[in-house]
Amino acid sequence: MNCDQLLLHPRVSAALRRVQLKSVQDVVCASAPDLQRLTGLSNSDVQQLITAAAAACRRHPPITAQQLQHGVSGVRLGCPVLDRLLRGGLPVGGITELAGESGTGKTQVGLQLSLSVQYPAEHGGLGAGALYVCTEDSFPIKRLHQLIGEQVCLRSDVPADLVNSLRFSDHVYIEHAADLDSLQVCLTRRARLLLARGLVRLIVVDSVAALFRAEFQADDWLERNRRLLTFSSTLHHLSQEFSTPVLCINQVTDVFSQSHNSMGPSSSTVSPALGLAWANQVMVRLMMRRLQGTVIRGEQSSALRRLEVVFAPHLARDGQDTAVWREGLRGVESWTSNRK
Amino acid sequence: MQRPVSSLPLSQAVRLKLGSAGFQLTSDLQDFKPDKLSKETGLSEEEAVEVLKAVKGGGGGGSGDVSASVTALELLQKEEELRSIVTFSSQLDESLGGGIPVGKITEVCGVPGIGKTQLCLQLAVDVQVPQCFGGVEGQAMFIDTEGSFLLQRVTDIAAAAVRHCSLLAEDDEQRAAMETFTVETILSNIFLVRCHDYVELLAELHLLPDFLSQHPKIRLLVIDSVAFPFRLLFDELSQRTRLLNGVGQQLITMAINYNIAVVITNQMTTRIRDGQSHIVPALGECWGHAPTIRLLLQWEGSRRLATIFKSPCHMETMVQYQITPEGFRDADQSEMPQNKRPRMDTDQSAADPKDTSS
Repeated sequence: MNCDQLLLHPRVSAALRRVQLKSVQDVVCASAPDLQRLTGLSNSDVQQLITAAAAACRRHPPITAQQLQHGVSGVRLGCPVLDRLLRGGLPVGGITELAGESGTGKTQVGLQLSLSVQYPAEHGGLGAGALYVCTEDSFPIKRLHQLIGEQVCLRSDVPADLVNSLRFSDHVYIEHAADLDSLQVCLTRRARLLLARGLVRLIVVDSVAALFRAEFQADDWLERNRRLLTFSSTLHHLSQEFSTPVLCINQVTDVFSQSHNSMGPSSSTVSPALGLAWANQVMVRLMMRRLQGTVIRGEQSSALRRLEVVFAPHLARDGQDTAVWREGLRGVESWTSNRK
Repeated sequence: MQRPVSSLPLSQAVRLKLGSAGFQLTSDLQDFKPDKLSKETGLSEEEAVEVLKAVKGGGGGGSGDVSASVTALELLQKEEELRSIVTFSSQLDESLGGGIPVGKITEVCGVPGIGKTQLCLQLAVDVQVPQCFGGVEGQAMFIDTEGSFLLQRVTDIAAAAVRHCSLLAEDDEQRAAMETFTVETILSNIFLVRCHDYVELLAELHLLPDFLSQHPKIRLLVIDSVAFPFRLLFDELSQRTRLLNGVGQQLITMAINYNIAVVITNQMTTRIRDGQSHIVPALGECWGHAPTIRLLLQWEGSRRLATIFKSPCHMETMVQYQITPEGFRDADQSEMPQNKRPRMDTDQSAADPKDTSS
């Protein structure tokens, strides 16, 4: 923003033009004595200038917690058991990470959310589509069609004619990003366009680790961290600006020894990839683990998994046994499953 | 009082003009009117008014150099009158000497998920505990840079605090106070600002003194977290250090002038030293000088520990805590202990020696 747009005393504006101090950001980031020395203005003039610049940078004045919107909880998974674990679904305004070993069902979660976001708000969605960015394998289009076909079975809480009226496949936008640069372009241009037009209210990145692990050597970690921060900052800005939940799927890495400064309670042999730098950017961290045992239901059987909350500002550290069926992920509540 | 003009809080240009016009000591400026002064020195009228104000002492609002000095005894009495904000973890409160101190900056660092935001949300509720329960009865200002201020959680913590206090209410005064200590009023006394990058954070800090003057009941300022927006400035580390130093100065000035407790959260980063990697608080060594007290939250096995690792007035102690659905609590406790009672029975002044047997 330009300083010309501020309401200032003519003397102050003249001084600013003289030293060619254009942007409001520069004024806010400079200290009062520096500005005084630069412009030759008096102390009170400089204070007035800083106050005007700061007021221009501010987006909203402070509100009380009571005035916050209640019930903008985010997008639900569609299974009441799992939604109870997540207390309503993925929150808006931060990054949710889902980490796990390969084959545990992380992509299934991404696909299920891409469909559940399309329901209207009263059924746990956000009434818009999803942007699915693939960085590893190609998009599992057959599985998506299978899930779409079984939506009536999964979402028994929604009237069948509503489910049938939604054109799910039209609203899942699929992007493939083969390297970091194209990922950044996809987020800054295509995602922004889709979000601005209201076509999309969910971003899924599957997976975050693949590109960052592939493109950097072990001693390039400084550069890798910079790119990681830039990438997550872009996601944060999109998430906050457009009130959109963001799901990042992550791989895991083995943990060999529990050192003193561990990042979590020592309970598992694997931990999410990309280290502390990435963990600092994540608001909600979920993990998917494979358990011993299978669940049988009719003629289908599924390996048992566990969806766990590692940390979240509003969730307790808890987990829920889950199975993957033809219609999607469902929490396994009763103890009738065959656990070995 | 004879003082050289060069020691007054004025800008360099003004001082030069005064010096070249022959004014060396403040006594030379005593009997001047602004228009005469501006004619003699070539200063503008407004600058002349400022000079004379600075000479009279006070430069418009306690700018430090010219204000009256205070004795250490007065400072001690003032500090003892200030209450601390309880954290609802009695062990942590004990090791901090009552709770998070007002008038100082406390930094909370830790790895993601350890409970920094939980502690901040707990404090934002605890600052509002009525005085008859031993609280500060103030309002809270929460600057959220990460987006982790979720209303669901704040409501949980507020409801648990109200439940806890209503169980403890004994006499009529406390029962009357419970009428106004409800979840709705707690939420209405927390002011929230979301900052999306460091420029917005700096702008908010510039506007904060005005806001604090308009809301004199604010006793707590939380910034969660200060590291998040500044971590992006990895290319201009010297600018980052300069900005952070400025932030530190502003925070301590606000803490002292407006009598508030400032709590900031910091992230952790890896530092390679002697071939080994250590996890240390982020934002560098320079930033470590800004807060008065530093708390480190960490995991040890499956336990959560809080360590006071920098404080001029406390020993380096380590206590265990846990995060429950009710909020930030002591470990191994499902209900609040009886030792909360002495705080209410004793005289309202926090200068009384605390009953440390627990």
